[in-house]
Formats: sequence, structure tokens, C-alpha cells
Amino acid sequence: MTEKKLGPYQNLRAEGTYKIEADIPTISFERIGKRGVRRYDGYEKASGKALYTRDVLLPGMLYAKVLASPYAHAKITRLDTSKAGAYPGVRAVLRYDDPEIKGRELNGSIAGPKRMSPETAGWAMKPAKTILGDEALFEGQMVGVAICADSEQIAAEALKLLKVEWEQRPFVLDQEEALQPGAPVLIPGADSNKIPDDRALIEKGDIAKGFQEADQIIEFTARRHAHLWAGAEMPCVIAKWSGDKLEMWVHEQQPYLSKLILSEQLDIPMNKIHTHSLYQGCSFGERCNPTNWSQNGINVLAVLLAQKSGRPVKLVLNRAENFYGESGDMMVGYFKVGAKKDGTITAVQMRNVFANYMCTTGVEHLVDNTRIPNLRSEGITADVNKAPAWWCRCEQLPNVFCQTLIFDHVADALGLDPTEVALKNDGCEGHDISHLSEYRREHGFPDRDSLPECIEAGKKAIGWDEKWHPPGTKRLPNGRMHGMAFTWSHDWDDVRGTGSAAVLIQNDGSVSIIAQHSDVGTNPWTAYIQIVADELGVRYEDVEINPFDLNHGFALMSPDGSCNLVSNGFIVKKAAQKAKGMLLDLASEKFDLPAEALDVRESYVYEKANPENRKPLKDIVKMATPMLNAVGIWTEPPVFAWAWHTHGLWGQANETRRPRMCRQANFIEVEVDTDTGEVFVTHVVNVNDVGKAISPETVEGQMYGGTYMGLGRALTEEMVWDPATGVLLNRNLLDYKYATMLDYPKAECIYIETGLGHGPYGSTGIGENTATMIPALLGPAVYNAIGKQIDDFPITPDKILKALGKL
Amino acid sequence: MKEGSHKTTRNLCPYCSASFDTLEGLKAHVISVHKTEALPKPDGWITMQINGQAHELKVEPEWTLYQVIHDKLGLTGVKMFCDRGACGSCTVIMDGRPILSCMTLAIECDGRTIETAEGIAAANHPLVESYVKHHTMQCGYCTPGFVTTAKALLDRNADPTEEEIIEALGGNLCRCGTYPQHPKAVLEAAKILREEPSK
Repeated sequence: MTEKKLGPYQNLRAEGTYKIEADIPTISFERIGKRGVRRYDGYEKASGKALYTRDVLLPGMLYAKVLASPYAHAKITRLDTSKAGAYPGVRAVLRYDDPEIKGRELNGSIAGPKRMSPETAGWAMKPAKTILGDEALFEGQMVGVAICADSEQIAAEALKLLKVEWEQRPFVLDQEEALQPGAPVLIPGADSNKIPDDRALIEKGDIAKGFQEADQIIEFTARRHAHLWAGAEMPCVIAKWSGDKLEMWVHEQQPYLSKLILSEQLDIPMNKIHTHSLYQGCSFGERCNPTNWSQNGINVLAVLLAQKSGRPVKLVLNRAENFYGESGDMMVGYFKVGAKKDGTITAVQMRNVFANYMCTTGVEHLVDNTRIPNLRSEGITADVNKAPAWWCRCEQLPNVFCQTLIFDHVADALGLDPTEVALKNDGCEGHDISHLSEYRREHGFPDRDSLPECIEAGKKAIGWDEKWHPPGTKRLPNGRMHGMAFTWSHDWDDVRGTGSAAVLIQNDGSVSIIAQHSDVGTNPWTAYIQIVADELGVRYEDVEINPFDLNHGFALMSPDGSCNLVSNGFIVKKAAQKAKGMLLDLASEKFDLPAEALDVRESYVYEKANPENRKPLKDIVKMATPMLNAVGIWTEPPVFAWAWHTHGLWGQANETRRPRMCRQANFIEVEVDTDTGEVFVTHVVNVNDVGKAISPETVEGQMYGGTYMGLGRALTEEMVWDPATGVLLNRNLLDYKYATMLDYPKAECIYIETGLGHGPYGSTGIGENTATMIPALLGPAVYNAIGKQIDDFPITPDKILKALGKL
Repeated sequence: MKEGSHKTTRNLCPYCSASFDTLEGLKAHVISVHKTEALPKPDGWITMQINGQAHELKVEPEWTLYQVIHDKLGLTGVKMFCDRGACGSCTVIMDGRPILSCMTLAIECDGRTIETAEGIAAANHPLVESYVKHHTMQCGYCTPGFVTTAKALLDRNADPTEEEIIEALGGNLCRCGTYPQHPKAVLEAAKILREEPSK
């Protein structure tokens, strides 16, 4: 059979589609993996010069505010905007019944058969899909009217002049209550508040058989209450019309997606939307995601208000407004686990009831990570009168929560060391870990087991063998009880994502990476520059990136799914390799040598056989120019190349499954004051197999940074609603408490490099892991200290005192 | 102030409303009691020394110092993070003390000397480079607030201990969790300053 010749498009696709194989470097690393590489964004950020969307002020810019429902469930029966509209400084009023917004639904996007749809906007917004409707399903919901005015104060004043009559309706806050007969139903005409979900039931193996084989059955119930992202820069957007052209400034992880959605939603051609994405003051995947209900809502409102007023409009949520939206792991779980005496888990059954949104079912890490053959997971989600939930830093919180608690309860019931129970059950999709060996060998990866390496390093660092003890048995000289705990999982890389970037060698030999990208703080640009510099053979300081503009058409994969670097590393690497090919092609003429005889190092092209024969890059490219207006000078085409890469979707590329091979282990040590119930975290050790670290400081930054978020989630972060009114009570950063520098010790962060990642040079993602792993770990740690299981998160002092019988 | 005074023109003190028979009396009172110029600027005008430069501004009574510095003067190193004095991201140094610009009315800042992160960087203070070196930022939104708070600490304590640094920066929130890097960066900057006081 003759091979079919690929056309230019097919060629691009073939070249850009990830093929599973270990990525063995073809260059020697000069900066990749090295410490001390100057952080790209450091000076701008430390000096206050870095611009964020929130900082932008445009001539003639107006400020928008949106009415928020004061009630947990209510409908507007009368709305009089006349006084507000006439208030001096008010420039436009948009009512829910105005034709440009009436009936418009929030839009979302997900890869799959339906690219854009209201169903994918914020997942749990199903009963309240309108962008600006007349009905509120939670206190704080944007509803009824949006106003833009000369200042934020005027817009806020104008909102007070609205005359609104509300019909209050019964509400329900708890997901289990919401499922009871007689509970107020949120979706008009529906039988119940239960949200259909095709992940409702997941079964593997034979659960009854698994329980029969068990020596012991362990049952427990666990709860996780609401917390949220609470990022630094609040969600904000600026929209400016100029004729039929729309210019947007967005605080968003995925500006390209935002453009796609707005285009479909408001029927604006994509080539007429010019988007700027500046530095991003956090987002953690939750807010500032154009498919999130609140971000999509404010984007559309800003665009419509800008149209109506004829002026640029900025819409910023304030801190209180921004508190509506929980992390998607508000859950109650009922667990039944069967285990043999040696720690082998034979069956796990779980029934998890979620409020508003089932981030993940709770069982998936047991599938990905273990040899447990029999699993049954029932996931139920109920609509409640709280803001839509969303993932926050990672959608894996329920899966980690369940895995950590199940393993700890098993170790406890059997009187075993939890690290032994982990190793006993380590595996993949019901098979033992050797199941992965064939895959590793087939695709050229090192045949190494990551988990024992991580556990060994962590045990040594925390002194596990000397210090671990049975629960509730060690009182310290300071009177507090000492506790230790351990948990583990796989790497977090979603091994997905698509993006493109170009590399241009300017006429002075400096190098530009051309591609939009949103930086949420993970130091990505340093890493891209390290890769381009090493692949191209130029100095780090000769490479620059300008990622704030989307109009040139190149956009790197957004910082999602811990696969920011994995996708984009490949993209910039390929673009650099292609640019290097062009450069050597051009250089071969200047050297009068074949391109293969030449190479580039430290921004010099040189003859491999005779390194003394070298020319600076600028001498090669000085006439290779995209534009020159000179007369009578011969120019040459620019040294420019671009690459597209797709890493597939959710672990699937070319319909081949990609198991996770890197593992991680987390250890913690606490002291519990049994008189006050206070938990003192004294030592945290995170061990991650990152495959290959491109920027070691950045890897560690994600590890210690995530620790603080995780500890806050475990111990102090909780959204509190008034049960009598359904009003969110602590929507500010004084009453919603997250970690300060004074609260916790430094985490010890150890990374190991096995090359077992699917990313460039064997790397894997690290952004989401730690903040997701740490919260559940505090349960086992406190249990090990006081000998009482709490299983109710956050673990606040009152719960500890109650468990000790002191309250 | 005389009880039952029948004078039609009264000289009222703009600070405490005390009344005086003569303008000279009022001037003397303002200078001695309120320790300020006898002839105040017209309503709403303030002068401030910001990053070594004189600014004369007309401000509305409800404007915060943050609004003036960020929105009017374009110094983006003050950041609005928590909205209400809970996070330290809007910190500036006012007459040597770190203060929250979002909780300070601009009109009360007449005659004050203010430093922002931009000024600290422009003066080549070693904190900025040590912050870069130690990756003491992730998303970076809170970073200038930390830098100004740390600068105020080093101004009053040239050789702080790690505990003193943590205590000084304990009121600054960072959601990305850069906390462990700050003491390293501040200690290094302090060392550089002690060794090369000219910085």
C-alpha cells in the first residue's frame, strides 16, 4: 500500500498531534532545570509596574454595577428604574426586560459535540441560566438591572434609587434536605432538586464479592463544607466599542475561549474582537474563566452597557460580590470499605451527595491509582439556594478527599501504618503497578515505580519511622497531643490542551515568542523562554515574550489542568526547533557550508567541526526582515516559524489511554491543644515526582504555595450562611479566614525527577496537586493526635472539643 | 470664645470650630493648637510628597488615598485586593509608617510624605532585586504591598530577625502562598543594605 501524501493542513495536524512516547532531549540543557534563572515577571511584579486588568483606566470610561438579590430565592414583581436612570452621572441602565438582554442565557464552552451551550455555563446554573433575569436562586445573584455611570460610587448610589418589589420564595441550603420530599423545588415544574448526571453511578468489578472476601468492613460518613477561591484580583472586564469593532480587556485564564463564546453569544465576528489579557491576579481556574457563570455574565453585561452608553465600560466585582461561587466539593459521603488483614482493600462503596455541582465523583483516584478491583460509587447532586459551584484550583478535591479518608480509616481499623496500606494497594485501574511496566517500555519511558520513591523520601524527611505512633497515644511535653498523617496520589497533569506560538528572530538577533498567554502566577514565561533559549541555542536574556495581546492569532494553551507547561512546552519547543532549522538554512549560505555542519550556541552560529568559525546571530539575520522601507537594498525573508500542538483531551490522544505514572506523597505533623481544640501544624513534607523540573524554584513555589491554600481549606476556610435567611454571612477576608504568614510553618518540598511525565523532557504538571492533597490530610493528622475521627471539614476547634466530649 | 458675643463676623477655626474675635487670634490658635499653617489651602487641595516628587491635588472628601495614588496618579503598585483593610496590598509608606491606602482618606494626607513600590524600585532598593531572585511572587498582585511593608520594616530595623519579618508581614495576604520566600528576600536585602549602606 502506498502511503497517502498529506496536504498542508493534514501535515500540520500530523506534526502537531501528540504521539505517546518519552520525550528524550536532543539538546544539552543550559538553562532548563537550572536554579537561578532570572524570573521573567519578577521585576515588574515587585516594582508595582505589572499591569492587571483591574488597573486599566481608559478615557471616558464608565463603571458598571449590577443589582444583587437580597433574598435566597425571590422573583422581581415590579422594577422602577426611573429615579436611578435620572440620577446625575448615570449613563445607561440595562433592565432584564430590555430587548438586548431579555431571555439571553449564560453561555459556556466545553470541548465535545456541543461547543457552546448554556448547559455548559457554570454547570450548576441549570435553573438560572439567564444572564440578567427577574428571578434569583441565591442571595447575591446578579439580577434585574445593570447600571453604568461616571464612577463606581455613582453607579452604587443609583442602585439604591431602584424601586424593586420582590416576591420571596421558600429556599433550601442543605443538599440532603433539598432531596427530601416537600423541599422547595428550584427548577419550576421539576419533580425534585436532583440534578441528572451521567456520572451518577460508576461500578467496577463485583462489589458484593469484594465485601465477602474482606476480613473487615469499615463504615464512616464524612462532610466537606463550602470554601472558595478568593483570589487576589477580583473578576473584572472592560469593553469598548469603536464602530463595529469590540475591544476587550479581560481578567481571564482563557481569553481565546472568551472571544469564541462572546462571538457566538452576541453574534460579533471573531475578527472584530480585539482582546487584551494582562497579568492575572490569581484565578485558580474558578473565577476569571469565561465559561464560569459570573465571568460570562459580566462580560456580556459590559459589552451591552458599552454599546448602550457609547463609552468604554468597566465592570469589576467587589470583594463581597465575588464571594458568590463555592468550590465544587460541598459534599456528604457515606462510605463502606472491605479490607483484608494485610491492608489489601477488596471493595469500596461510596454514596456522595453534592450541593449544586459534582466536581468529580469521589471514586476516580481509586480507579487511576489503585489495584482495588471492586468499586461502586453513587454520586448525587442537588440544587440548593447557594451560588453555582465550580472547580477551584482543581476538580479533584472530592476524589482526593475520598481516597485519603478511605485509606486512613482502613489503616486505622487494621492497626497498620498508612504508608504500608498505600503500597499494598498502589496500582492502576484494578491492576497492580507492574501493569504499567508494559506501557512504560512500549513508549520508551523509564521503567520505574514512582510511589515507593516518593514515600521513602517523605518518610525520611519527616522522620516517620521514628515518630509515627498509633492514634491518640502521644502527649508532648507542652501538653498537646502529637499527630502525624500521610496521603498519596498520582500526578495531576490532565495531559490535554491545544495551542500555538511563533518564534521570530528579530534583525538584531534577539528572539521574540509571539503568542497570547495568561499568567496566573505559575511563572510560565520563564519556562517557555528557558525552552526556546536552549532549543534555539541562544542566551536566555536574548529571548522575550509578549503575551498580552490576542489579536495576532497565536494563543498558548491556557493555564488549566496542570498542563500549562506540558502543552506549551511542546509548542514553544517545536516553534524554536523550526525557527532553528530556518536559521541554519540561512546561515548555510553565509558560511558556505551545509546546514547540518552548523549549530547555534550562546547566540552564535558556529561550524561544528571548527567552533572558532562562528558568527553572531545578528550577522546572519540582519536582512531577514518582515518589513523594511529602504530602496535599493535586497532583503531576505524573516526567520520566523510557528507551531501548533495538541496534547489531546483528558488523557486521551489518538484514542489511546494515558495512565498517570508519576506519584506524590504528602506528610504532615500536628499538635492539638485538647483544652482549646486548636490545631498547630508543625511540619509539612510534600514529595512530588514531577518527571522533569524545567524551573526548580517554580516547582517548589507551587508546592509550598499550595500548602497554604490546603491548610486554610482544612482548618479555617468556610463560607457560612444564615439558616434563617439564606444570606451569606462572611463575604469578606476578615471573616473568611485564609492562611497568613504567621499561621503555618514552611513546607518542606521535595521533588523527584523520573521522566515519567507525558510532557516535554518527561515533565508533568504541578500547579494543582498540593492545595488539593493537603485539606483532607488534616483529618487523619488530627485523628492520629486525639484518637477521634472527625471527618467534618474544615476541622475547627469546636469540632475537636466536641469529639473529645468537652462541648 | 465669648459667651453671648454679638459680633456679626466670627473667625471660626476650621479644625475645631473655636471662635475668635480677630483673625490674628485665630491664626495664633491654629499654629499653636493644630500645628499647621495658619492659612489653610482652599477646600479640597492637598500637597503630598510622593516618591520624592511634590504633588498638589484637588481631592473630593470621600476619595481614598488609594484612589488618588492609583486612579489619579497612575501608580499601579497600590492594589485593591480585599476592599477593606484586611490584606495589605494597598500599603504605602506614609512618613515612615506602612499604612493602608484603601482605608485612608486622601484629604487627611495633606503635607504627608509617601513612598510606593514604584519609588522603592526607582531608588534601586535591594529589596526589589532580592524579591526577584527568591521568586517572592507568583501572580504578583499582592507583591508591591509586601515590598512596601518590608521596606518600612527595614527603615526602622536594619537587622531584623526572621521572626520580626514574619511579624511585620503577617498582615499581608497572599493567596498563591509565597509566604516562605519573603523572610529570605528581606533578610538578604537587609544584609546588602548593611554592607552597602549607599543602596
